[in-house]
Amino acid sequence: MADQSRGSLSGLTESEAKEFHGIFVTSFIIFTVIAIVAHFLVWQWRPWL
Amino acid sequence: MWRIWLLFDPRRALIALFTFLFVLALLIHFILLSTDRFNWLGGHAAPSAAAQHMSTLPDTAKP
Repeated sequence: MADQSRGSLSGLTESEAKEFHGIFVTSFIIFTVIAIVAHFLVWQWRPWL
Repeated sequence: MWRIWLLFDPRRALIALFTFLFVLALLIHFILLSTDRFNWLGGHAAPSAAAQHMSTLPDTAKP
């Protein structure tokens, strides 16, 4: 019980950590896709290599 | 991998991550603005490769 609810250093339970991790990964993927599109457009404008 | 949030407080981690990304983005944008080739606000519009191409035009037009 202590490992489930009170043992973590951050104070999160496992279910809370999993929930936040899902949101975090989704946000990271969206951010990465936007960054890739932005780099592609800049490369079309003026390639840097 | 989700166990990382048992170690690090998500609130502090997000604040640190957003601060780092914002400072990094600001740094990169100002570095790009300081260059001729990648300054998107006025300045010299011609890239270096096009400038070399343009320099050959007056030579052919002289005679």
